[in-house]
Amino acid sequence: MSETQSSAPKSTLLQLSSSDSYQRWRLLKDKIVAQAVVIGGLSIILAIVLIFFYLLYVVFPLLLPSHAESVSSYDTPEAAMGSTVFLSMEEQNEIGVRFTDTGKAIFFAVADGQVNRVVDLPIPAGVRITSYAHGSVDKGIIVYGLSDGRALVVRHEYKLSYPEGKRLITPAISYPLGTQPMIIDNSGQALTKITVKVGDKNTSFLAKTADSRLLFVTLGKKESMFDDEVTWDRTDAVLDMMAGDVDFMLLDKEFRNLYLAGRGGDLAVVDVSNKSEPVIKHKLNVMKQGGEITSMEFLNGDISVLIGDSRGDLAQWTIVRDKQNHYSVQKLRSFKVSGQPIITINPEQRRKGLLAVDANGEMGIYNTTAERESIREKVADAKPVAVTLSPRANAFLMQTEDGKVHHWKVENEHPEVSWSSLWQKVWYESYPEPDYIWQSSAASNDFEPKMSLTPLVFGTLKASFYAMIVAIPLALFGAIYTGYFMAPGMRQYVKPGIEIMGALPTVILGFLAGLWLAPFVEMHLTGIFALLMIVPLGVMIFAYVWQYAPKSVRNKIPEGWDAVVLVPVIIFCGWLAFELSPFIEELCFGGDLRTWMRNEFGIGYDQRNTLVVGLAMGFAVIPMVFSIAEDAIFSVPKHLTTGSLALGATPWQTLAKVVILTASPGIFSAVMIGLGRAVGETMIVLMATGNTPVMDISIFQGLRTLSANIAVEMPEAEVNSTHYRVLFLAALVLFMFTFIVNSLAELVRQNLRQKYSSL
Amino acid sequence: MTTEARKTHAIDINALNRAGKSGRDKFDTCISVQDLNLFYGSKQALHNVNMEMPRKKVTAYIGPSGCGKSTLLRCINRMNDLVDGVTIQGKLLLDGEDIYDKNINVAALRRRVGMVFQKPNPFPKSIYENVAYGLRIQGINDRRVLDEIVEKSLRGAALWDEAKDRLNDNALGLSGGQQQRLVIARAIAIEPEVILLDEPASALDPISTLKIEELIDELKEKYTIVIVTHNMQQAARVSDYTAFMYMGELIEFGETSELFTNPAKKQTEDYITGRYG
Repeated sequence: MSETQSSAPKSTLLQLSSSDSYQRWRLLKDKIVAQAVVIGGLSIILAIVLIFFYLLYVVFPLLLPSHAESVSSYDTPEAAMGSTVFLSMEEQNEIGVRFTDTGKAIFFAVADGQVNRVVDLPIPAGVRITSYAHGSVDKGIIVYGLSDGRALVVRHEYKLSYPEGKRLITPAISYPLGTQPMIIDNSGQALTKITVKVGDKNTSFLAKTADSRLLFVTLGKKESMFDDEVTWDRTDAVLDMMAGDVDFMLLDKEFRNLYLAGRGGDLAVVDVSNKSEPVIKHKLNVMKQGGEITSMEFLNGDISVLIGDSRGDLAQWTIVRDKQNHYSVQKLRSFKVSGQPIITINPEQRRKGLLAVDANGEMGIYNTTAERESIREKVADAKPVAVTLSPRANAFLMQTEDGKVHHWKVENEHPEVSWSSLWQKVWYESYPEPDYIWQSSAASNDFEPKMSLTPLVFGTLKASFYAMIVAIPLALFGAIYTGYFMAPGMRQYVKPGIEIMGALPTVILGFLAGLWLAPFVEMHLTGIFALLMIVPLGVMIFAYVWQYAPKSVRNKIPEGWDAVVLVPVIIFCGWLAFELSPFIEELCFGGDLRTWMRNEFGIGYDQRNTLVVGLAMGFAVIPMVFSIAEDAIFSVPKHLTTGSLALGATPWQTLAKVVILTASPGIFSAVMIGLGRAVGETMIVLMATGNTPVMDISIFQGLRTLSANIAVEMPEAEVNSTHYRVLFLAALVLFMFTFIVNSLAELVRQNLRQKYSSL
Repeated sequence: MTTEARKTHAIDINALNRAGKSGRDKFDTCISVQDLNLFYGSKQALHNVNMEMPRKKVTAYIGPSGCGKSTLLRCINRMNDLVDGVTIQGKLLLDGEDIYDKNINVAALRRRVGMVFQKPNPFPKSIYENVAYGLRIQGINDRRVLDEIVEKSLRGAALWDEAKDRLNDNALGLSGGQQQRLVIARAIAIEPEVILLDEPASALDPISTLKIEELIDELKEKYTIVIVTHNMQQAARVSDYTAFMYMGELIEFGETSELFTNPAKKQTEDYITGRYG
């Protein structure tokens, strides 16, 4: 500009209009606009990058490796008072407790081992402690079996108080069944093995006596209406089995199954639903490869049993019901901890995780759902005596033979997540076989979260696929007709008409789809399918008849308005399809298509199904695809079509070989944008799919998409929980998916445009 | 051509009409326009046009903008059919056959009457596929036949030497002049009888224009050529016969040399001497 100014001859006009300030102002405006455009473009890119990084930021902790580190180690508190049989700690990781074989509970500070309090348990004089076990870890129940056939149940409790605004934890010991030991063996034999489960109503003991009897004693609590007196309703049973070989005993919290195992690997599951008549349900050997059972513990929830062996293997066994309703005990998975015997297994109290320790002082933290070893560390060189994992699984204590207690801190926030638990089949507890399941939450605390994204991705693809099947042919053929054949006078109504369809809020579409279309399709399923047959057939027959119609009739319809004639035909065919459907149904499908499908092919029918979603989402996608494709077809330069026609091509050849080819970049991007819309669509799939995360290819089954899943579950996901982060991961997957699809589409489109763009 | 034909000066339309058969005998008539009227809606664009165009000669239409010369040209391959609201009365005979007969196959007609437009309009395909296009839509897909005809057509359009090494490149990569020759090659590939050229050089530079004009000179050996041009020098250079049109009417039609040197009508003289246009 400045060049022109200096070199151009100064005409009067130039002098009049171009004062220097005007020229500067013009340049300035140009610069401002250029900058504004650049800033606008960059900020869009920045916004997308920020969204991406925010998603990544929330998801990232899932990927962080877990670790454990030593905090302190100290001499065993009050080591002289007896050796530890059971070690535990409370939720805040401040106070630990060790129960000794001499009947003492020694509370100490977890941090430095300073003794806080020592409680003498009321063991009667002259009676020895012969066995001990923990009952429910989460309830702090310990049981001592005594030499006179009695058992003492003890609970360690912690009271929180805030004197002077500081947290103070006061440990205490209570006796759920009273301070008097319960008589288990009436004949007074010593209890050499014992286990207990304390429930709200019932308490059950299983004890092995010195003379190798297995006693199963259940106490039903009866509270008097008038005073605080508690009486016990007692049921006794003797297990008639290889008592001598039983080394490990577990009773689940439902008081339903007893798990008995011997060192040699024989595992028996005893059904104790009837407390007086235990029945042996399963017997098998779990150590077929050799080795001995060295430890056995329930996984949180008491559904599966963890068995550690002398070869350092840790296996998860559970009762599996197969499809024929047969029950069997199956190994779900196993971990290799080390080459040393596994001494203790400490299940996490709130997750399906565990801490296993081998004889060499090496520990590993595992998660069964994720089938993952989170941490493995060598804690000490000496053989461990007792180990406890804190209730929140963020610390553990290990006492070793050399009289030391090691206090470690654990950081293991999201052990449930692994590549396999997100994307592969996982054999969940109580499931007959490995499967892809999304079921992120349940009422109970010991629930196993099932967070497979596969069914959600599948649902997303399935919904988009069916939506595209509905939308693409209709939208593209419509666009071709409108852009290439339709008279301009008609086009000016049709195009905005269809574009207005796109302005319909998807929540209304979803609402209609869920509440009106779904029941309608269910009622008129045959009609819908008849429609698919009858309408195209009717249109073709009409077109055939039309060419033989008298010229006077045909000439009434100007060229390009032919579609108008078809409207009544299509309406008639639609009406006919629904009118005929009861007869068709009666004739071919024995009166009811859905029953027929179920009986003949075993195809079930959900009211909220993919067909409904396909129709509703197809309806939502059509306007966008139509509009973009129509623009592309309409803007094919006329000189190309006339050029083709002038070479003797028919209009159809011109359409197929020139118009579609030249419009292909636009048509392609229309389809890809439609696909992106379908993949990300939320409201329609939320309201019309039933949100059932099943992986079923059938068009009559529901589904759950990534987007609907996020919308449904995000409000109830605890912030920063694994669930929350996995939902963000789902969002990230969705984002990546649309990003990759769109980028690929753009690449292809650029390529097409380079190839076929016209002049 | 006979000496008689050479003597025929600017043919007076009425005289021609009166002459009837004897008038046609003067040259080998390829296209005959008889009482042609054309309306765009209610607006008449061609008024009672009568003329005969000789076979394997170049006939040029000249006249000021909007005089109907392009409209008349487009009547010959019925491209006007594509315009909304066109009505045509009268006859247009190609080899004695009325192309506005209701039984005529328009696509087949257009194969016989090729057309090249003002603006080069190659398809967004390779050079090869552009030339082969007309053959493929006729159902010819034999690679050997196509190869042969593509080469022949490109040679015929004087483009072979420039394009033979890049047959598979996109035709849009050619220069404007090359594109126009490609379009001519595309037109002659289907071996039409008539080639209509609608101001073929008006969008080209002088050198490309020269090449097109040389090409026209070669093409008339084989084809009947009708050319619309704004450029009177071009008409004088390339055509054998010239028609001057004004306001939708054919004012004068005759041998080019006669029409330019000795026009019979005042309007013609005014136009070629540059009084209007």
